Parts: sequence; C-alpha cells; structure tokens
Amino acid sequence: MIAGRMGRGRLTEPPEHPYKGAPDFWNGLEWTAQEKIERFVSQFISVGGHAAYVSTEAEAGAYIAAKAMEMKARTLLRQNQPGLERLSLEARLPQTDIQVWNSREREDWKAVAAAADFCVVEADYGAAYTGSVIVLSDGGKGRSVSLLPAVLIVLMPLSRLFTRMGEVLEKVATGGREGMPAGMHFISGPSRSADIENDLTIGVHGPGIVHVLICGDR
Amino acid sequence: MKAVKSSVKERADAALGDEFLRNAVKFTTERLRSGKLLASEEHGNWELWRERGRQIRLHTVAHLDYYLERFVANARLNGAHVHFASDSAEAVQLALAVAASKKARSVVKSKSMVTEELHLNHALEEQGIEAIETDLGEYIIQLAGETPSHIIIPAIHKNRHQIAELLSKEAGRTLEPDTAVLAGFVRQKLRDKFLEADIGMTGCNFAVAETGSIVLFENEGNARMVSTVPKTQITLMGMERIVPSWDDLEVMATLLPRSATGQKLTVYMSGISGPRRDEDADGPEEMHVIIVDNGRSNQLGDPEFQELLNCIRCGACLNACPVYRHIGGHAYGGTYSGPIGAVLAPSLNRNVAEWDDIANASSLCGACYEACPVKIPLHDMLVYLRRRKVESGHGSKAEAIGMKGFAAVAGGSGRMGAALKLGKIGQKLIAKDGGIRIRLGPLKDWNAFRVTPALPSRSFRDDWGRIRKEAEQAPIFAEADVQQRMRDYLHFRDEGKDGHG
Repeated sequence: MIAGRMGRGRLTEPPEHPYKGAPDFWNGLEWTAQEKIERFVSQFISVGGHAAYVSTEAEAGAYIAAKAMEMKARTLLRQNQPGLERLSLEARLPQTDIQVWNSREREDWKAVAAAADFCVVEADYGAAYTGSVIVLSDGGKGRSVSLLPAVLIVLMPLSRLFTRMGEVLEKVATGGREGMPAGMHFISGPSRSADIENDLTIGVHGPGIVHVLICGDR
Repeated sequence: MKAVKSSVKERADAALGDEFLRNAVKFTTERLRSGKLLASEEHGNWELWRERGRQIRLHTVAHLDYYLERFVANARLNGAHVHFASDSAEAVQLALAVAASKKARSVVKSKSMVTEELHLNHALEEQGIEAIETDLGEYIIQLAGETPSHIIIPAIHKNRHQIAELLSKEAGRTLEPDTAVLAGFVRQKLRDKFLEADIGMTGCNFAVAETGSIVLFENEGNARMVSTVPKTQITLMGMERIVPSWDDLEVMATLLPRSATGQKLTVYMSGISGPRRDEDADGPEEMHVIIVDNGRSNQLGDPEFQELLNCIRCGACLNACPVYRHIGGHAYGGTYSGPIGAVLAPSLNRNVAEWDDIANASSLCGACYEACPVKIPLHDMLVYLRRRKVESGHGSKAEAIGMKGFAAVAGGSGRMGAALKLGKIGQKLIAKDGGIRIRLGPLKDWNAFRVTPALPSRSFRDDWGRIRKEAEQAPIFAEADVQQRMRDYLHFRDEGKDGHG
C-alpha cells in the first residue's frame, strides 16, 4: 500500500542511505579519560545527581557502605554482577539485609525490588557527554533494580566510559538483533518532573537519589 | 470530557479571558524555548544537526515500506506480537482484544499521543477496565477529565491550588498545595497501581528497524515502570515512528530532548527489544506492538504534506508560536495543538472544511519552521491548507465577494485612484490623530484591539512621478543574474502562470 502511494514498486533491497547517523565532525569527538571523568561528573551534578571518581574498587565499596549506613538502608538489592561481588558489601554491612537479584529460584524478584530501599548496579557502559550510565538487562541484571528503590548507586568502571552516546549504541547493537537485551536503559540523573507549575520535583516514579561512582581500576 | 466549543475563535476568546492560563502558557513556553536555544547553542553546529535530522526523516519516510517491514520482521523475531490498525476503531479493538485475552482489570499507561488520538482510555473504561495515566501531568488532567494542552507539559494550564484540590479528592484528605507533597502523594498512589496492573501501555518515540526495538524518552520513570512491572505490555506506535538504525537514533536523541525541554538527554532513554528473555526475572512476559495508521498514510505521496510524517513530536513549534502562547492548546480543539496540530488535525482527519479555521489561527510568521528540529515547513503547509479549503468550495462567501470587489477596484489605476480620493474625503468624519477607531462594520474586530491607520494626505501614488524620476537616475545595484531572474518572473507572471500560495 505504501509503495503504491509513493508511486513505485515494493522495495526488497536496502535503499541507499547516504546520511546515516551523526555527522562526521561529531563522530571524531573523543575525550581523554580525565576529560570524560570531569565532564561526566559536572553534567551529572548539574541535573541533580551525585557523581565522584574513586580510584579503586575497595574505595568504591567503602563509599557505598558509608552511604548505606548514612541513609539507614534496611534492604539493599544489588545486581548479580562480578564487579559488585568484589565490593564485599555483605562484609561491610553486616546489619543490612542484602539481596542479590535472581539469586534464588521461586522468588518474586519484582516484589523484592519494590521492598528494597537501596540498590546497587554496575553500569555496562557510560556516555560522558550526556552524563549517562547505560544498563542492559539479563538473568543477573534486573530492570526493576535501577528503577524501584528510592536510592540508586551505580558503579561505573572507567574502562567502559565513552565520550558519545553513539559509541555506546554501536557497542550494544554490534551483535545485531540477536545481541540485543530485552531492556537497555540510559540513565542520566534522578527521576524528575516539572509538570506542576514548572516547579522541578525530584524522584517522581524512579529513584530520586542517584550516585555514580566512576571507578578507575581494580 | 468537557464539551468543545464550536470555533477556534470562541475557544480562543475563552482562553484569552483566563489570565492564569495565559500567564502559565507564556511562562512555560518561554522557559522551554529559551532552554532549547541554550541547549542547541551549547551543543553547537545546530543547523548541521537539523539538516541531518531532516535527511534521515526524509529518507525513512520515502522508504517507509522497506523499513516498516524490517522493523516488523525483527520485532516478531524478538518475540513481540505485531498488529496493524488502519484506523482508531481498529486500534482500539486490537487493544481491547489483548486486554480481554488477559482478563485484565487494570491498565497503567505512560504518555502517548497516539492513544489520545484513539480515545483509548474511554474505550477501556467502557469494558470495566481501569485505565490510569501515570505521567504526573497526564494523571492530573485525567483526574480533571480534560485533554492535554501541551504535547510535552500536558497540565500547563493548571495551577497548584487546582491540582491540590484534584489530588485531595483522590486522597480523601487535604493535601497542601506544595509541589513536593503533591508529587509525593502521586508517587505513593501510583506505585501500588504499577504493581497491581495487568497491562502496561506505552507509546513509542522511535522504532529501530534494524533490531525491531522501540525507544522511549521520559523523565519520571513511569514509562520504564509500565514496561517492566506488568506481565503484558502493549505499545501503540504511529506507523511513521521508524528510524532505520541505532546510528540514526543518535541523531534523533540529539535533537528531541534539546528541542523539547532543553535537556542534553531525558533522564531515561530506553530501548526495548521484545518481551523478557527466558532467564530474565522481570520485564513483560508478552509484548504487543500495535502499529497505527489512522490517517497518516494520507500524507504519503502528497508533495505538500508528506513532510508532516517527519515530525518527532518535540513541541518546539508550540513554544515558538506567538498564537499558541496566547491561546494555549485547548483552543485548537484537537489532540495535537500549536502549529503542528493546526496542520496535523485536518491532514489526519481528511476533513479540511471542518478544521481549517485552525489554519487561519496563524500569523504565518514561520517561527515554527525556525524551531522545528527536522525543518518541517509548517507555515507553508498552513497556506496549502487554506488554499485547499478555498479550492474545495469551503471558502468564506463574504471573503470571496470582498476579494472580487477589491480586485475590481484595484485592477485599474483610474478606479483605484477614484476610490482613494473618495476614502480621503469619507474618512474626515471618523479619522482622528492619524487613526480610525470606530468599531463598526468590517472594522469591528480589528479596532477592538488596534487602530486602523488613516489614509495619508499624500499617498505613494501621488508621489509616484517624483519617485520614478529619482529611481531612474539612481545607479542600478542589482547583480546581472538577479535582474535576469526578475525579468523572467515578470514574463512568467504576464503569461498568467503565477499561482497562489
């Protein structure tokens, strides 16, 4: 029907697409590690989030444990990721009920996420220009974890922090359709709304308190 | 739903009489517009990005059959059920059928302009299914029983006291008119709704053909909620929402948030590729995508209106429009308001005669085109609409007679001169201080707010002899090719080929 309206036959071959993607001048933009850290941190803070650089995972673990204690987290939910395992939160927070996403059969994990007040995820990628962390779903990585609790802590390994969103999209889409996760989420700050008289409200449906820790190395 | 008054003029009069509305719309559109200008300036090379965005949209729409087919094939391989709806009735039927098969009692919805087109909430409620809008602004206007008055900030026309009143009724207790309190109540209230709902319903900002994914932009997290928590997801998308690849999406993700709110990126941008995988512990078990035509294909192959399909629904044209800023969205009387609504409503509905008074509610200044991130020539389209109305015999009879009369007078220099002379004598009775202020006859509406200038004592025609002599003596500055173009045009015009609009 569409081809008929356009006055041509049906297309079976991919059409030429000379203007695909971002302009060339843009694709050349690449910041140094230092620039990426600085730009990410200032962008993320400007939208009401918190961001900091830590040089080791041990430092990240201590930072997160301190935050959990400061905010009196009762239930902490984390993704089932090796980088988070190494933070040894269980040892650092003996008083806190720490749950690991999808680590037991026959559990309603969405309900666990809804009941948790503090969550920790490791970012799959980051884009410094827009101040975004990118999380992909799979068996060990729930979509609810970075969404339902009021406080979200993101561990962002520096080696996976890129400059542009386009670099991240290229990485994610590199495996084609089969390689896509069910959910890919760019998170660029705390949940917000300006729907009531333009007055900015933080934490409408998603987490209102978001910390990103850019982590240098192991 | 409140009754819609019959004409744009009546609705505009009502809006102009509402001081809060006028101030709120002005304040919000100013804020969004300056945010956009700042963001595009900060990003740099904005014109190059706009042009790239336009090229990608032009290319996609020109090959829509190919990319739509790819999207559908890939989405099905991802495990999604894909349905096509040629009009709103069919789309509603499809959504209701899914709801019935799931024995659904409640649906949570994130913001979607397509579902506004379909009046889907109404249809769901008729089946006894609770439909809850979860975007804060949409929730507020749903409680008020109204429709969105801005594509991005739907409750732009409500103040916090009105909102507190609406939400207090819902809460069963008095809530302070404080933003944090009100938003806090909605968070709590809707959190339960998300967890209980059988179906989550979303719109679709873009659909990526190469992987069969849908992409959602939002700030609150409610679109993520409705696409993560309920067991069944229904996504409604306009058939033109396609982009070929994720590379192309980067361009749209650069243009859309900056143009809409001045953000570098919305807080959440989600790419959803089918239902949950076997190993996943959340996400919908079943996903349906309903691709809606509802008048969109009318624009395909129409040289004057095909570019309407390039629209990415950012609302920048609303914020830039001097008319919208004064009368707000409800005065337009349709799902979409502002310049894009003025063109989209009659094009989607194919009822030029009924809608075109909206096309007249425009100053044709072109601010909408300047603001549009994909360069849709909306001001030209408004003129095409007016022309189509006249050509189809739906023009105003009084206007036609007036134009004929004007042509008869102005068509000969003698008649024109005589008319002006008469006017100069006649106006002596009514002109004062160089202006005419009486509110009678054809001058009634104009003079209600303005002053008609009086004819000057010496007109251009009176001075033409002197001006002509001066012009002939002055050196000619125009380039040779410009002069040639002007001569060609005169020749063209004399042959009577010049059209209107």
